[in-house]
Parts: sequence; C-alpha cells; structure tokens
Amino acid sequence: MSLRRGALWVLVGLILTAGAVVARPGASYAHQDREATLAGSSMQHPAGTDDFGRDRLIRVSAALLISLTGSIVGAALTTAAAAGVGTLAAFGPKVVGWSTMLVCDAFLALPWMFLLMMVRSALPFTMSPAHSAAITFLVLAALGWPACARAVYRGAVAQRTSGWMLHARATGLHRTQMIRYLLPNLLSLLLPQFLVSIPAFVIAEANLGALGLGISEPLPSWGGMLFELNNSAMLLETRWVFFPLALLVVVLLALEGTAAEA
Amino acid sequence: MNTEALLRVRLSGGYSGSDVLRDLMFELQPGEVVGLVGSSGAGKSTIVLSLVGLLPWRGGRVTGEVVMAGRNLLALREKELRAMRGRSIALIPQSPMTALNAAISIRSHFREAWRAHDKRGREPMLLRVRELMAEVQLPCDDAFLARRPPQISVGQAQRVLIALALLHRPALIIADEPTSALDPVTQAQIVDLLRELNRRYGTTLLYISHDLISVMRLCDRIAVLDQGTIVESLPVSEVGQARHPASLSLLHALPVPPEALLRFRDQPARNAETLCELAEKLPQ
Repeated sequence: MSLRRGALWVLVGLILTAGAVVARPGASYAHQDREATLAGSSMQHPAGTDDFGRDRLIRVSAALLISLTGSIVGAALTTAAAAGVGTLAAFGPKVVGWSTMLVCDAFLALPWMFLLMMVRSALPFTMSPAHSAAITFLVLAALGWPACARAVYRGAVAQRTSGWMLHARATGLHRTQMIRYLLPNLLSLLLPQFLVSIPAFVIAEANLGALGLGISEPLPSWGGMLFELNNSAMLLETRWVFFPLALLVVVLLALEGTAAEA
Repeated sequence: MNTEALLRVRLSGGYSGSDVLRDLMFELQPGEVVGLVGSSGAGKSTIVLSLVGLLPWRGGRVTGEVVMAGRNLLALREKELRAMRGRSIALIPQSPMTALNAAISIRSHFREAWRAHDKRGREPMLLRVRELMAEVQLPCDDAFLARRPPQISVGQAQRVLIALALLHRPALIIADEPTSALDPVTQAQIVDLLRELNRRYGTTLLYISHDLISVMRLCDRIAVLDQGTIVESLPVSEVGQARHPASLSLLHALPVPPEALLRFRDQPARNAETLCELAEKLPQ
C-alpha cells in the first residue's frame, strides 16, 4: 500500500469514528458532568473529562470534524482565489501581472502568525461560537492565497507560451475558452496546493485557539483543548489531557501523507 | 504585383537584438501549393508566427504587411485577427504532441475550435467532425474521440491537427514543418493527404519545411529562404534550374537528383513503398 493510500485510510477511519462518536444518541460536546471533572478514562468517558466535566472523546471528535471541515472549505477557497488571481495575473497586461506578484510578495513578507492574531483579535469577542469558527477559517483562507497564487502565476506563465496555447490562439479560440483550456493543465499544480493548505490551516487554527483567538467556547476546537496544556497543575491530574495533542499529530501526519505524492 | 493574389506578404522583423526577416516578399495565388524551404535558422517559424499575428506572443516584433482579401492582417485589431485565425487562415504546427492540449480529449479540441467561429451548436459540429475524420483517415467512434493526445500516436495527432485546420474550411492553410516529427511512411502519407485535400477543395497551402523531398512531392512552386529573405522562387518542375547558392546547397543535400524525385511525384505512397525505396530502384 502506498504512503498516500495508507494516510488516506487513516484519515477516513478517524473521520468515520469521530462522526460515530458525535452522532451517538445523547452525545453532547457541551454537557457537563459535575460529578467527574478532570476525570481519567472510564466506561462513561473513555478519554476522560475536562475541568468542566465535559466528555473529552466527544469534544475531540467534534473538534476534528469542525477543524477538517473548516480547513477543507478554507483550503478550497484559498486555492480557488489563488487560481483566479494567478491566472488573471499571467494572462492580463504585464503591469497587472507584475503588480499582483508585488502584492503577493508583500503579503508573504508579512509575519503571517502575527497578522492572523491581529486580524482575529480585531473581530468582536461577543460573536456566536459558530460565527467565530466560520470567521477563523475565512481569515485563514483570506491570508493563505498569496503563496499559492505565486505558484499558479508561474505555472500559468509557462502555459501561456506553450505549444498548445500558441496553437489554440492560431485556431482563433476566445480568451475565456483558453482559460477553460488552461485549467485542466493547472490541476497538477492546484491539487497539491489545496492538499498542503489543509494541514496548514488545521495547525493555524490550533495555534490561534491555543492563544485564545480561535473558535469560541463551548464549541470544541484543537486550539481550545491545547489551551488546557497551559495549566501544569492539570497535566498532573490526568494524562488524557495529552489526547487532543496526540490526535492532532496523527491527523496532521495523515493529511501530510495524503498530500505527499499529489 | 498581382492583385488577384490570395495573400501578399512583405515582412521585416525578428526578436530583440536580432533581425530574422529582412524585407521578405512573396505572394500566394488561390489554390496554389507553395513550399517555403530553408535550412535551420533561416526564419521559417518566425514567418509562420508573423503571418497569423502571433509573433508578439513569442517576444518578437514585425513590420510590413500581410494582405489577405484586401485587408492588412498586421493592421487589424486583435479581436478582428482572432476572428480570422482558424476560419480564414489555419495552421498545422510542427510538433503534434506539444500543439495539442494533453489534458483534454480530442472531442474537446474539436468542440472548442468549432465554438470559436460557429454558434450553430453540437449537431452540425458532429457532422463536420465525422466528415473530417474520414478525410484524414482516423476513426470517429466515441472511444477515439474520448482519448487525450498522449493516448494516440504522433501520426494520429498530426492527422487530428490537419482535421482541426480544415474544420472551418479556411482559404489558406499554413503547414509549419508538419512532417518533421513523423516516420518516413507517415510523412509520405501526410504529404499525400495534404495534396489530395488541395486537389479536392482548392485550399491554398503554404508548406514550410527544410525537407526538400516532401516539398517536391507536394508543391507547385518552391521559394527558397535564406537569412530572412526569399532568394529564389521557381516552379517545382524547374527546380533543376535553380542558381542561388542557398538553393543549390539544398539540392545537393538530396539523396537523388531532383529530376528523379519529380518522376515519382504523382505516385501515391503505399505503406512500404516510401520515397526512399523508390529512390533505391532508380538507375544510378
């Protein structure tokens, strides 16, 4: 079995398991069991509970699903934006291409994490948890496109002078037809960009959450659960606080493995 | 100058820092097959791109005029020129595998080329494609049309390009070394196919090549290109009277005397009976 296929199966297995845990009747990521706060593994709570008595397995499962959904949507948006910007820059007048790439360079030169923190902290803290999740991934998508746009621009410029493009022009194809002609040729470039963006967004959300700037409580997120690791007293109570971190590493490895040979 | 000419060309141009075409002049009469021959670097590909207004896409510049049906193509706006490309002037390029888009099917190539100039929809297009595939001796079944360029042979790809060039029945076809990537048998078949299409439809053909054998087999007239200008132009039947050193060096490179080639000019190539084999049968 290839590395990619193995990683994909691990990912599918994790998603199905998380889905089954979250969809189980009576499962609630917000339910607080006051009798068992910061508990270890038990029949009722296989991965223990957090300091509010919320089931860690349900919360980790929900976080995995939210994080992956948000990251996949964010990665799709950022890849689509990069494809649009890169292609237009490559096929537009030279000055447009040149200035667009300058904007991309300026974006890439910015301290990315700091910018994310700044943008996210500028948003109101009173918003609903669902909105906070949507905005977190939208901000990631809005800031993630320049590197990908640069790669698309390079690829599209190479295609612009290719033999088939010259023949397409000699056949009298419209500009829109040529762009439609172009997209299948850029797929080998866009797919890896999309797949690489997913783990990048998962880890970026986790980092933002760990700084308290990600998805708001009570909605579970990797970052929110990693936030628990700040409390050294809690680390001594139960080893299960490391469970979200361990699972995050497995998910990231599986995502990187899936993107590896694309 | 003949006012009846289909195409009247006077060109100078090249790339930054080097002039490739120097006051190049020639005319094409309707229905004529003209072979533009020259050694590598003589400016053949630059002429092709200049004629269809695509030299700037390769970083070149061109001045002069390319007059077709009373319109100077070089003075046209891009939109007007686009409307002529593929419909009035079509191109058969040099490398079939790079000229076709590897990511899309043969059917998509025809569909897009059709839509560029004809809004009548799918049915007339399918009818025309079926007709053309028979012309160029390619299968027209769904399985073949669904293939992408890497899934067909180079010879088949060149036939697809010829069919694409014929799609809108252009008045002029420019063939830029269309046989250079092919084996000798397929070369001879393609040359015969072009000759047959010219006879049947009267399409004017500008055949650009360094291969004098195929030019002599196909063309009515030969124009010899040297250092960006045409140094000699004469009917194929009088090629033995060429006097310019560039023409003579091309003729001397032939494996047999030009008269011998002309003798077999009108014999269609059969699969195993290529020009080379015919040449072997000639008295020394």
